[in-house]
Amino acid sequence: MSGVRVVGRYSFILNGRPTTVEAPPGYTLLETLRQILHLTGTKDGCSSGDCGACTVLLDGKAVHSCLTLISQVEGREVTTVEGLAGSKVVKSFAESGAVQCGYCTPGFVVAVEALLRANPNPSIEEVKEALRGNLCRCTGYVKILDAVKMAISD
Amino acid sequence: MVSLYDIQVFTPRTLEEALELLDKMGGRTKIIAGGTDLIIQMRHGLAPRRDLINIYGLRELRYIREEHGMVRIGALTTFSEIAASEPIQKHVPFLAEAANTIGSIQIMNKATIGGNLVNASPAADSLPPLYVLDASVKIVGRKGERTVSIERFYKGYKKMDIAPDEILAEISFKIPDTDGRGLFFKHGLRLGDAISVVNGAVWMRRREGVIEDVKISLGAVAPTVVRARRSEEILKGAKPDDENLRQAARAVIHDISPIDDVRGSAGYRAEMAVNYVYMALKRLVMGR
Amino acid sequence: MTLEYRWVGKPLARRDAYEKASGAAVYSSDLFPENALYVVAVRSGLPHARIKSIDVSEALKHHGVVAVYTHRDIPNNRYGVFVKDRPVLCDDRVRYVGDPVALVAAETREEAEEAAPLVRVDYEPLPAVTDPLKAMGEDSPRIHEGGNICRRTRITYGDVETSFSKADVVVENTYTTAAQIHAYLETEAGISYIDERGRITVVAGGQSPYRDREEICHTLGLPREKVRVITPHVGGAFGGKDEITVQIHLALVTLKTGRPARMVWSREESNIAGVKRHPSIVRMKTAASADGVLLANQTEIIFDTGAYASLGPAVLDVAIENCNGPYRIPNIDIKATLVYTNNMVASAFRGFGSPQVIFAIESQMDQLAERLGLDPLEIRLKNVVRKGDYGVFRNKLEGSVGIDKCLESLRNHPLWRRRGEYKGVQNHEWIRRGVGVAAAVKGYTLGALPDRGSVALELNADGGFTVRASSTEIGQGIIQSLTQLAADLLACSPEKVRVILADTGETPDTSVTSASRQLFLSGNALRIAAEKMLDLMRDVLAKATGDPKTSFRFSDGHAHTMKGEAIPYSAIHSMMAEGGVATYVEGVYEVPRTTPIPGSLEIPHLFYMYGATLALVEVNLLTGFVSVLRVVSAVDAGRVVNRQTFTGQVEGAVAQGIGYALMENPVIENGMMRTLNFSTYLIPSIKDVPEIEVVAVEDGEESGPFGAKGVGEIGIVSVAPAIANALYDAVGVRMLSIPMTPEKVYWLIKHRR
Repeated sequence: MSGVRVVGRYSFILNGRPTTVEAPPGYTLLETLRQILHLTGTKDGCSSGDCGACTVLLDGKAVHSCLTLISQVEGREVTTVEGLAGSKVVKSFAESGAVQCGYCTPGFVVAVEALLRANPNPSIEEVKEALRGNLCRCTGYVKILDAVKMAISD
Repeated sequence: MVSLYDIQVFTPRTLEEALELLDKMGGRTKIIAGGTDLIIQMRHGLAPRRDLINIYGLRELRYIREEHGMVRIGALTTFSEIAASEPIQKHVPFLAEAANTIGSIQIMNKATIGGNLVNASPAADSLPPLYVLDASVKIVGRKGERTVSIERFYKGYKKMDIAPDEILAEISFKIPDTDGRGLFFKHGLRLGDAISVVNGAVWMRRREGVIEDVKISLGAVAPTVVRARRSEEILKGAKPDDENLRQAARAVIHDISPIDDVRGSAGYRAEMAVNYVYMALKRLVMGR
Repeated sequence: MTLEYRWVGKPLARRDAYEKASGAAVYSSDLFPENALYVVAVRSGLPHARIKSIDVSEALKHHGVVAVYTHRDIPNNRYGVFVKDRPVLCDDRVRYVGDPVALVAAETREEAEEAAPLVRVDYEPLPAVTDPLKAMGEDSPRIHEGGNICRRTRITYGDVETSFSKADVVVENTYTTAAQIHAYLETEAGISYIDERGRITVVAGGQSPYRDREEICHTLGLPREKVRVITPHVGGAFGGKDEITVQIHLALVTLKTGRPARMVWSREESNIAGVKRHPSIVRMKTAASADGVLLANQTEIIFDTGAYASLGPAVLDVAIENCNGPYRIPNIDIKATLVYTNNMVASAFRGFGSPQVIFAIESQMDQLAERLGLDPLEIRLKNVVRKGDYGVFRNKLEGSVGIDKCLESLRNHPLWRRRGEYKGVQNHEWIRRGVGVAAAVKGYTLGALPDRGSVALELNADGGFTVRASSTEIGQGIIQSLTQLAADLLACSPEKVRVILADTGETPDTSVTSASRQLFLSGNALRIAAEKMLDLMRDVLAKATGDPKTSFRFSDGHAHTMKGEAIPYSAIHSMMAEGGVATYVEGVYEVPRTTPIPGSLEIPHLFYMYGATLALVEVNLLTGFVSVLRVVSAVDAGRVVNRQTFTGQVEGAVAQGIGYALMENPVIENGMMRTLNFSTYLIPSIKDVPEIEVVAVEDGEESGPFGAKGVGEIGIVSVAPAIANALYDAVGVRMLSIPMTPEKVYWLIKHRR
């Protein structure tokens, strides 16, 4: 801790591709994705783990990229919203009116993807529990639930 | 909000290596596990910015075992794993319930029970169930290991019985009697994730119309989680009628010392401690 | 022009939705220009202090710092839409904790953040004036030279005192409402650079690129042609990005250094320095006759605008306008004051002054009903305004008035008809349920203020059209609505319509995106542009075919001749190109407006939105926790352009209303914000928002394009009073202040016993 930028090299699987990045080891995965790799689909809503906009999959599980250090990602597998381009979840969100300003949407898409991979047929209560950490200020969540229902029935 | 661009992060591959690193640099570094509390605290200037020893990947500390009537949980077990664990759900469902409320799914997937314990927030949702279970923590260092009861482990607000060169490695507890029942409760200010204004756990065993044994713990109402011993004494051997439950609930004020903060006043916290204990006792007695 | 609605009213998926859901959409905060300087504001941290000196020398020495700017760098250091009272960078004093004193521009974010605390400001602390009532006192320390009264007015019609003495029932209360934080998921953010034509270009989340450009030009002394403002996708606004946030600061850094710059507020900074909904005190005395006819309403409104006026003067007008609810009341007396304090700056937020006063009047209505033994819905229906009525300001209501239909639809709703059954459900002895109703009204358009907008339309070589407007896409779906309107107006498929928005270098001025009227404004301007375009196309076709100009019929991207020939639009484009005819037209729409009544700035409005909310709540007597189990929101929608967008707007507004009513509790102590992030300032999560049923009352607004009305705001307006009335129904306590936090509800219940 010197006031001098420390840099490390980290190798991990990013959206299915082996990736190596040079970043300060204390940088969060979110800082690394957005500021260094310019993968800006992962959004920064609070940087404190309270809003879910920065949700990514770490070894298949939904986590906050703002509360994960890049040095904790070494050797693991990371999936961002950019890695879910063909997902039915993206489509169902787009078609259900679940997107307004859209800034929270990628975080929701990733969280729903994680849920459906683990539990392809969740109840509404299970959906709400899985999404309770993702804040949306625009939609009132009604159409987000519609989108998840559409993705389940697809 | 500051960036941690200038810290070093050391990632040991084994517990042994981690202890060696700690031995060398214990005073100047901090251990990071899931990091869901520590990263926020360091970036917000609430904890000093330190170089980190990253033990998040140590698989040897990630397990849930049932053996000889005990449940042992490795310190790096995540709350998702605890909530989904068969032995936990079977023997101590109220601990699974608490694990389910410590934060969002994203937090549960990353946060570890050991991290939650050493973060030492008096509002930590994992603690009240461990208090009524009389759990113990195993602490390891290069010189050896020792086991401390959870109540002894916390010595005051954020003060713990652990040295800078030690690591909290395991939490364990005796599987409670099958004829008892436990319950976890928490008062948050919304239905979604919220830090507890008050939380707690109650475990009760009844026999022949009286309460044979009861344990009550409360969080966020004192510098550490507390056992409501006065209330427990009132109930032991008593009939579970409304008057006794009310009297016992009111008695929790002898064991708590709440303070004001942005989430609620001390007065409100005290009332909530009383009322939640009452509701929990009532639900246990009514069986719903 | 008569039209078949082929696309208007269809639930087409929004075209921006897929790129947003897949993470491809670009927001201001996603831009990382090459070689950009990172800009951080040094904020006061004190609620009130005199600046004795500012020393930037240490900060300038810090590694990576390129420049530090202060008020000395700003030619005209005051801005503001209504009152130019706000410094770009503070000079003589700071008036709230978020006031910016200096800007640090450095090579990296870390360097800028580290250098910011090195700017040494020598302050002489002044007493913090944070209680609006004290701020109004003669002996209060002054926050601005002209005193602490930012605006004060009184509007009276009839004679309230005589009515009070004759009335059968009079209800009098003081209501208070807390500030509300917009809490958009994307904080205030932007970048700046010099474009290929040498213009200082600011790309930022905003609601009014032309007005933001005016403020930049005014403060930095630049001509309009030297400044360009672009608004890309905005990650939420709700009024909070209606005024300047990062724009002037960014323009300054690029102007001075010639380099691109980037500024993104942290969540904490947004909570401190972003604007809020006005906290309010509303005293109300309301009289009715024994049969429930409203006789008089006397209201005193005090809005705390914080350190600066911002849009407060207009917000106060809307509060004045709506404090009598959607009712006929012959005698009214309104005293209203907008007061400066050393609190956070308050400005526009969905509802714009209406939710505060509707909370008061709709709580009064239930109390009157109870005192008179009347049904809460019947007393409302007895008094509501109807089309052609005169409003409280003796203004004739010429536009559509659908409040009666909204309330009637709730009266027929099972949740209201069978509320006894719903209330009967009780899972524990400490749980109670209740049902409440409340009505809502709010004017849309800018009322009596001048408001005009242009939309440009171009026929493209492929036979499609490009619509250009400076409306901003803040999540409300304007891109989609304009697309569907254009498709119907121009008889082509929506795929053939391209929409370019919000770039002062590319799009004409379509005024601000606020007051729920952007679709009304740009839709009407688009209609005019489309008429011109079709006329132009007829001219060209008549010339080419020799057929009379009026003989052509347009459908499916083709012009059909008398002879049954179908000419594709692309061929018309070729005809235009060959004949040297411009393919570009502009439609200008001037929003009809009223003459302001004495004592007001912009009221009354010509057009009003109406709505009503029905809520079922569950209350825990032992904790004070109120949860909302069900909401029905009836909205007078005019004609719905896109059903998905419409219901989405209402659902989102209801959710914000639930937050406002129950949990959004900004803790501000002596001018200091204590709830800095989403772990202390709680907004509703998916578990806190119940099933929301939206009932559209489609009572066409003749002046809107296709009869559409503004719907962006109305859904929030009556949520809090409906919940307060439901709470009363459940446990018999009357909450006079919001948010109705568990602690407040708990003590109210406990002390009643």
